[in-house]
Amino acid sequence: MEQAVDIKGLTKSFKGKKAVDDVTFSINRGEIVAILGPNGAGKSTTIHMMLGLLNPTEGEAKLFGANTKETKIRERIGVMLQEVSLMDGLKVKELLQTIRGFYPDPFSLEQLCRLTGLSEEVLNKRTEKLSGGQKRKVGFAMAIAGNPDLLFFDEPTVGMDISSRKVFWDTVKELANDGKTILFSTHYLQEADDVAERIILFNKGKIAADGTPGEIKNQLLKRSVSFVTNAQLPKELFLQYPSVSDVVFKDGRMIVLTDDTDFILSKIFEKKLDAHDIFVDRGRLEEAFEQLTAEQKEAI
Amino acid sequence: MKLFINQCKIEFLRIFRNPYFLFWSLAMPIMFYVLFTKVLNTGAEDKALWDAHFLMSIAVFSVMGSAIMTLGIRLVQEQREGWTKYIRITPLPDMTYFFAKMTGQTAVHLFSIIIIFTTGFLINGISLTASEWILSGVWILAGSLPFLALGVLIGFMKRVDTASGVSNAIYMIMAITGGIWMPMEILPDFIQVIGKSLPAYHYGNGAWSIIRGDMPQLQDILVLSGYLILFMVVSNYIRRKQEAV
Repeated sequence: MEQAVDIKGLTKSFKGKKAVDDVTFSINRGEIVAILGPNGAGKSTTIHMMLGLLNPTEGEAKLFGANTKETKIRERIGVMLQEVSLMDGLKVKELLQTIRGFYPDPFSLEQLCRLTGLSEEVLNKRTEKLSGGQKRKVGFAMAIAGNPDLLFFDEPTVGMDISSRKVFWDTVKELANDGKTILFSTHYLQEADDVAERIILFNKGKIAADGTPGEIKNQLLKRSVSFVTNAQLPKELFLQYPSVSDVVFKDGRMIVLTDDTDFILSKIFEKKLDAHDIFVDRGRLEEAFEQLTAEQKEAI
Repeated sequence: MKLFINQCKIEFLRIFRNPYFLFWSLAMPIMFYVLFTKVLNTGAEDKALWDAHFLMSIAVFSVMGSAIMTLGIRLVQEQREGWTKYIRITPLPDMTYFFAKMTGQTAVHLFSIIIIFTTGFLINGISLTASEWILSGVWILAGSLPFLALGVLIGFMKRVDTASGVSNAIYMIMAITGGIWMPMEILPDFIQVIGKSLPAYHYGNGAWSIIRGDMPQLQDILVLSGYLILFMVVSNYIRRKQEAV
């Protein structure tokens, strides 16, 4: 099947510093993909190159097998960028009608209102009189106005309140069910985890991981087996196994950090160790992600 | 084509809804006109000729200002707010957008000219032949091209504040040295020399010639065309440089 996005060896240097470094991935039609990463990881730069707004230093980005700058490709994509920009001096209705006019097969104004939660009242307001949240909604309506096959959202929920977020993601899921391909960037973990079928994790301009949210978690997270024991168990008891990375004592519990919790459990039972109140823990994605972000800050 | 016309309409609407435009390009010039032809006695020998002359000056002043400032500052704003970026991702060709902008702006100029001419006719009973009215109107429209090109140049600036400061300064300097506010003859010699090397004087001079029953001089046409070409070449150069990123 024709791929919605195909990126090969994409690199962008600003004054000799690589903001995006040899990034390669492709996205099939109908996928919902999150580009996740801390601020400054190269997400926006990558999206800008995909859209033809920045020329890559090396490599290439294709949408539906062609260059984004071609009109036939632009007719098939919808974009919501970070900075909300609405043409001033126009009513929301006039603005949306204008945008609809750019595309061969746009959504009707009624459909747009239903999908984005825009009210009749907002439609008749001038764009410069809107609140931040209303602007965001109009920005969303502009992105989907052309009934595009591929949607880009760069940090879409920044500046949205909780109820707007819900409307936004519900609509995105609905659009995805209609077979549209969706690509969004975010630094909110929860969002990527909740919405995306696939996460591409960016760190320092490179892809750090690429897979389902579950796979990403497995790759990122340290799992552990912990228990309370009255016996003086030496750390070496567990450290001798290659799957164990560390053993620590905390709050009266012995914590064994490992990739393979099943194996550790089997050893505990096999050796009939004095262990009770056993927990198998899997760290939270947030923590792993914060760690990644923290490391990044240190690097700078 | 439908797309283009629609886009022109939108641009026209947007300019007209801009209160700054209404004030600076219509209200203020008309106030000046009333002030210098009705309220203050300028001691002009031929009052009727002065009234017509100054009407042309004011129309030139209004259109020039709107071409340099309204256009320039709006372009910077659109760039800054990411609107220009958004348009680049839509199927609307950049050139269609640009030309619609110019056409919308020119339609606004036509409208301003009609309003200012009508004001002159109503309050001072200026009588020109039909061909003089039409010719001077056409001259002011066509002669606005180098100023639109200058507006585009201003539009490359990064900050709205800079653009508005610079365009204001250029506008005022050109208006004063070009004899738009007071006749060129009463200005000091060195200012006359500066004024005649800038486009504003020649822009006004074409219209002043027409109401005196002459045709714009070849020199006026040449200077204005020269500046148009110069500004276009420079903008093309800047645009290429910016696109290389």
